[in-house]
Amino acid sequence: MGAMGYLYLRMLRNRVRMALRKPVTYIYLLLLLFYMTAVPMSLRMTVDMMGADSAKGLVTVLTVFAFWTIPANLIAYSKRKGLVYRNSDVHFLFPAPVSPKQVLVYAHIRTLAMQLVMNLFVIVCGKVLFHAEGWRLAVYFVFSIFIENVMEGGIMLLLYGSERMGEKQRGLVVKAAYGLVGILVFMGILAYFRGGLSFQTVADYLHSDMLQLVPVIGWYIAVLHLLFLEVTVVSAAGTVCYILLVAMIVAAAWRMKCTGDFYEDVMKFAEDYEEVLESRRQGNTQRRLGRKQKFGKARVNWQGHGARALFYRQLLEYKKSRYFIFDGSTVVAVLAGAGVAYLYIREGDFGGLERYAPFILPIMSAYVIFIFTALNGKWAKELLSPYTYLIPDSVFNKLINATAMQHIQSLVNACLIALPGAIAMGLSPLVTVLAIVFHVFFSANKLYALAVAEAVCGSTLGRFGKQLLQMLIQGMAAMAAVIGGVLGMAVGGIVQAYVLMDVFLILFTIVFMVIAMLNFYNMETA
Amino acid sequence: MLEVSDLTKKYGKTLAADHIGFTVPDGRIGILLGPNGAGKSTVIKSIAGLLRYKGSIRIQRQDARSLEAKRCFAYVPELPYMYDALTVREHIEFITRAYGVDVTEAEVECLFERFELTDKQEKLGNELSKGMMQKVSICCALVIKPKVILLDEPMVGLDPAAIKELKEVILELKAEGCTVLISTHMLEMVKELWDVTFVMDKGHIVGTYARETVADEDLETLYFSVTGQGAGSGRTQEPVNSGSVQEREEKGMAGGGDAGQAMARAEGVGQKDGKDRI
Repeated sequence: MGAMGYLYLRMLRNRVRMALRKPVTYIYLLLLLFYMTAVPMSLRMTVDMMGADSAKGLVTVLTVFAFWTIPANLIAYSKRKGLVYRNSDVHFLFPAPVSPKQVLVYAHIRTLAMQLVMNLFVIVCGKVLFHAEGWRLAVYFVFSIFIENVMEGGIMLLLYGSERMGEKQRGLVVKAAYGLVGILVFMGILAYFRGGLSFQTVADYLHSDMLQLVPVIGWYIAVLHLLFLEVTVVSAAGTVCYILLVAMIVAAAWRMKCTGDFYEDVMKFAEDYEEVLESRRQGNTQRRLGRKQKFGKARVNWQGHGARALFYRQLLEYKKSRYFIFDGSTVVAVLAGAGVAYLYIREGDFGGLERYAPFILPIMSAYVIFIFTALNGKWAKELLSPYTYLIPDSVFNKLINATAMQHIQSLVNACLIALPGAIAMGLSPLVTVLAIVFHVFFSANKLYALAVAEAVCGSTLGRFGKQLLQMLIQGMAAMAAVIGGVLGMAVGGIVQAYVLMDVFLILFTIVFMVIAMLNFYNMETA
Repeated sequence: MLEVSDLTKKYGKTLAADHIGFTVPDGRIGILLGPNGAGKSTVIKSIAGLLRYKGSIRIQRQDARSLEAKRCFAYVPELPYMYDALTVREHIEFITRAYGVDVTEAEVECLFERFELTDKQEKLGNELSKGMMQKVSICCALVIKPKVILLDEPMVGLDPAAIKELKEVILELKAEGCTVLISTHMLEMVKELWDVTFVMDKGHIVGTYARETVADEDLETLYFSVTGQGAGSGRTQEPVNSGSVQEREEKGMAGGGDAGQAMARAEGVGQKDGKDRI
């Protein structure tokens, strides 16, 4: 086995082994399985209602997907930003006597596992939602994994590896990709003027012969038509063009001279990638790949002393950030809030469970906090800084000031999640406020549960073990809140249930906070 | 032998390396010195094949970008980065496969023993301290039995025992005829190792010294005399090349970074006097 094969397989084997040792992997696997089966199942009714439950529907979805992925890949590869290398590759692989083309292929192959998962998802959807024939799906799977990959790999090799193609020429490819998108948009506008705005117009446009004549994207769509629908002159011609294009690209990539000029570009991208990963690990979700995080100019009026400095430093950081305290979790909160409102308006009685409908708000809050909130909060980040320990102030003040901004952030998210649903359901202001309080304290609970996990297991269980323990500890608080809710419903109604839920949650959060403080005190004085 | 000639590298409009040229012959230890931002990293990354550049870099008379040159070239970067899912042992295995070298079990064991890695062989890359990573990085470079080795700040993060071991290894490599180029700020660490020193500043080589010709002159004094850094440092030894290109041309010296090229012509340092004197 060659060095690259060894590297890929050994890393894969070790990663799988490491993952299987982490309990959290099984939770993620369950979630993945859940999504891969639940999403197609839940969409089934919608697809049926839209009359898209046929192979034609599958072609429509894949066509829309191609509109997005093909130009996006072309643009990313032309800018030499599509492939992800790590700093370890820069250290060991780039100076090694390995053909730079092999280095490129290796990076491409690393994405294969994810592609397999995506393709399996398409197969499941194809069968469950669109009732496509098994053999056609099997052929599509093989085509997608082999031919599509060869095509994409060839394009990637040419755009990354070619040393005859300068930055200007690669810029032309970017323009050509935008040109293709322009053609598609132009054809869409024509279709709109001909047929007006309707599902039928969109379907006619996506399945039109004209579309299949557009180079690259259209030819790919022609292959989809040939695979899943009938053979027509246009789909056959488009498929032939696609196959010829693949052959030409592979031949050009094979003959191309490549000595590793691209290493400089991918090295910069690798550094950027590592920085983003590190930022994410520290709870900074605003750092984006390919874009240096820009900080504007800002000022704060520093007030007080001691641990107050932590609060004002964080405030200054947020004020300098482009989106202030808003990040990915804000977007999730907006979507979750809108989703709850939409679901209520559409489904109404939730299958006869309308009495319990208000509880969808805390359920949604818990779900969003469990899944989408950064695992390491601000407090965990502050713990990494030696200055936190050196500040001459009480542990309580440090904890409160270091986490205050995060509580404000969760208050904003709480409003975004709770308000649309509360308005749609016509909940009283008191219940709405209690739902917001639930979100804020559940979020704080997660923050302090990490500290409790740290106090309980230290570093003996590793990072993932600690996170699992954190989930279990927070699960206890969630359980207590559920019991509170059930008791409240038994003795009174919604208001009592919410009050008891919040009281139980707040009690647990305070206990966790005290443990977090004691843990920090021990760290300071140890 | 490592030959760098007319190496020029620009980042946008910033000229990081301006017509750099030097040669480190077989069995010699070259030191690349310079203040922060002098362009050392640019030169080193260019030699390692990580940057695009103008000019020529040759390793054992082969173009540095060729696979033949890479096969006999080892690189220890300033910051070691391990594959987080490979063990120390697997890093060595990967490197031996990539470079196609035959290494016996005993040789690997010996290397691990010298750098106190024997009990760390099964540790994953992400379980190592920075110092340990540096040791693995050095072992990976040594296991390929290089003819040219480039070490960028190799002592940083190493414990005193490892520094001592590394110095011994470098001297052994030299004795075996290997070309060594070390970039460092730690002058104390290399004072007993160097044969030839190249001082860089603002993208130029501003001084080249050979140990034979500077007698007992301290490396630190030489460095400060040419860079003008440090209080009270007097110019004690005139390097072969210093000052601007124009000044050098006026003095009738080899231009740009041609001191090293002069060395190449001399086929070894300290053998000629006059303008080619090192």
